[in-house]
Amino acid sequence: MTEFNTSKKEIGDVNVVYLNGFLDAHTAPVLEDTFSSLVEQNKFKLVVNLKELDYISSAGLGVFMAFIEKMRENKGDIKLTSMNEKVFNIFDLLGFPLLYEIFDNEEDAVKKFSGDN
Amino acid sequence: MIVTDSLKIKRNLNALVEFSKAINSSLDLKFILNNVLLTCMGKFLATKGAIAINEKGVIKLMISKGVSADFEENFPVITVKDVINESGKLKSITDSGSFVCSEFIQASEKHIGIIFLGEKLNKTLYSNEDIQFLKTILNISATAIQNSMVINELKQVNRTLDTRINSLNSLFELSKEFGLFSESTKVSKLLIYSIIGQFMISKYAVLIFEKDGINIIESKFPMDEIKSILNNTDVESIISTVEKNKLEKQYNSLFEIGVEQVVPMQIQGKTKGLILLGNRLNKQQFTESDIEFIYSVGSLAIISLENKRLFKEELEKHKLEEELDLAREIQRNLLPQEIVQLHNFEISAENISSNQVGGDYFDVIRKDEENCYIAIADVSGKGVPAALLMANLQALLKSACRQNISLVEGTGMINDLISENVTGGKFITFFWASINDKNRTISYVNAGHNPPLLVRDGKIIKLRKGGMILGVMKTKDPYITETLQLQKNDLLVFFTDGITEAMNNEQNEYSDERLEKLVLSLNNKSSKEVLKLIQADVKNFTSGAIQSDDITLLVLKVN
Repeated sequence: MTEFNTSKKEIGDVNVVYLNGFLDAHTAPVLEDTFSSLVEQNKFKLVVNLKELDYISSAGLGVFMAFIEKMRENKGDIKLTSMNEKVFNIFDLLGFPLLYEIFDNEEDAVKKFSGDN
Repeated sequence: MIVTDSLKIKRNLNALVEFSKAINSSLDLKFILNNVLLTCMGKFLATKGAIAINEKGVIKLMISKGVSADFEENFPVITVKDVINESGKLKSITDSGSFVCSEFIQASEKHIGIIFLGEKLNKTLYSNEDIQFLKTILNISATAIQNSMVINELKQVNRTLDTRINSLNSLFELSKEFGLFSESTKVSKLLIYSIIGQFMISKYAVLIFEKDGINIIESKFPMDEIKSILNNTDVESIISTVEKNKLEKQYNSLFEIGVEQVVPMQIQGKTKGLILLGNRLNKQQFTESDIEFIYSVGSLAIISLENKRLFKEELEKHKLEEELDLAREIQRNLLPQEIVQLHNFEISAENISSNQVGGDYFDVIRKDEENCYIAIADVSGKGVPAALLMANLQALLKSACRQNISLVEGTGMINDLISENVTGGKFITFFWASINDKNRTISYVNAGHNPPLLVRDGKIIKLRKGGMILGVMKTKDPYITETLQLQKNDLLVFFTDGITEAMNNEQNEYSDERLEKLVLSLNNKSSKEVLKLIQADVKNFTSGAIQSDDITLLVLKVN
C-alpha cells in the first residue's frame, strides 16, 4: 500500500508543511485533514515543501485546488517549494505554475510571505 | 580593389561559418529565428524585420523587430497558398509592415517560412548580390529551423501523451479507490479532487438524482441559488454533456452563477447525476478528451455510489426478512400445536401466515373434563410488534382461563391490561367462548371481532354480543355475554378478516356474503372438510394474487 504523511513547522506566521511519500487518491484525505486543521486554526500562510514527495496524482493536486481560494480569501497563500523533477512535470503538465508560486527552496518561499507584508 | 574584394568575401565567409555554428548549436526555435533575423538585419542594415513560420499550412508570425507594437496583432491570417503566385514566386505581402524585401525559407523544396526585411538604412535598394547572400543565409538556417520545429512538435506530442497517461493514471487510481468498502462521501470527494486537480477548477457541484429528489452532494456554488435553480429547471433530462454556449442559451440560470460545463454521470446510458463545473483557472477550454475523462470518472463514481446504495438496500431487506422470520416463529410458537378434541364437538383450526406476518391468533384451551375455551383474535399491525402484542394477549388469556372467572370479568381484565400496555393506536379484535361438552352449550364474548357464523337449518346466526375492541380504553361498561344451546349438526365458523378481505388481482374482496353463501352449502361436511373447502374457495378467488394478511379459520361441528 502507498505511504504518505505530512509534518509541520512554524516560521513566524508562516506554516511549512512537509509532504512525504505518495500523494494519490488513496492518500489525498491525509493532506486534506492537514489543510483543514490549519484552516481551523486560522493559519492561511502555507509553504508546502515537496522535497520528500515521490509522486502526486490529480486527486492530490485537487486538494491544493480545494484550499487555495480559502487561503487567498484570508490574505494567505499556498506556495510550493523544493519539488523534484518528476513531481514538477505533473504540476507543469496541468498548468499549476500559472496559479501557484513555485520556489526552488523553502527559505525563498517563506521570505516571499514577509515581502508580501 | 582586388584585395578589398577578397577581404570582403573572406569576411562574409567567416560570418557565415560563425552564423552556421551558432544556429546549429541550439534547438530553441526562438533563439534560432532571433539569430537569423538579427544577422540579416545587421548584414543589410535593415531597420525592420520579421519572420513567419509555416505551421501546417498557415503562415504564423514568430518574431518581429523595429515594427510598430500592433504589427503582430494585425498580422493577417494567411496560408502558404495565399502568398505564392502562379510562377511559384512569393507574392508581395509586405504592405502592412512597410517591408521592401521578402524571401521564402526553404528546405528541400518545402516552404518552412518567410523572412521580411525593411528598407536599408542608407536607402539603397537590395541588390542581386544581397538577395543571393540572403538566400545563402536562409539555406543555412533552414535545416536548423526545421530540426527545432520537429523537436517542438515532438515535445508537444510528448506532452499530449503525458496528459493522456496522467488521465489514465487518475482513472486507474480512482477505480481502485471506488471499491465497495469506501464511504459514499469519500467517493464524491475523490471524484471532485481528481477533476479540479486535473483541470484547475475551483467552482463545482455534484448532484445525484435520488428517488425523493436531487441530492446536492458537493457544491462550491451558492447552495441556496443552486437549490432554487434546480426547483425551476429540469436538469434530470440532461443526457449528454452541455458546454458553455449551450448552457448560456438553454440553462441560463446555471450559466449566470458561473457553470461552464455540465457532465452527466450515467449508468447504462441513464443519467443518475450531474457534475457542474465552473471555469478553468488557467483560462483553457475543455477539450473533447477532457470531457471524456470527466465523463469516465463520473461514471465510475456513480456506479460505485449506486452499488453502495443497492448493497445497503439489500442489507436492509435482509434485516427485514430476518425480522419477519422472527415474527413468524413467535407466532408459530404461540399457536396450539395440536387441537383439543371433545366428545360432542369436532374442532379443526389452521392459520396460514402471510409473507408480512399479520397478528392472527387462535387457541383451544381445555379447562376441565367438561369445559373448554376457544379463542380467535386479530392484532392490528404486522411483523414483530404485532407478534409481541399477540404473545401478550396469549399470556393474559391463558392466565384468565386458569382463574375461575367469568368471560365478562376475564374480557374486562384482559382489556384493562392490554390498554395499559399498548401504545400508538394498536388494538386487538378478540372473540372467546366457553363450550360445555356435556350440555352442548356455548357462552361467548365478542370484543369487536368479525362475528363468527353459526349455521343451523340453512340459516346463519351471527355471534355479535360483547363490546368494544381490546386496547383502546379501559373497560367502562361490562362486556355482554350470550349463551346458546347448540344442536346436533350445528356448524360454527370462526375466522379473521384475512378471509373476508382477501383480494384478487382486480382489487375485489372475498367478502362476507361469499363466505356466508359458501358455509350454507356445507352443513353435511365434517369440520376438517369445511376448513379445507373454505381455504380452497378463498385461494380460488384470489387466483395467484399475493396473500397480504394472515388467514385463520377455526371450525366447530356439533356431533
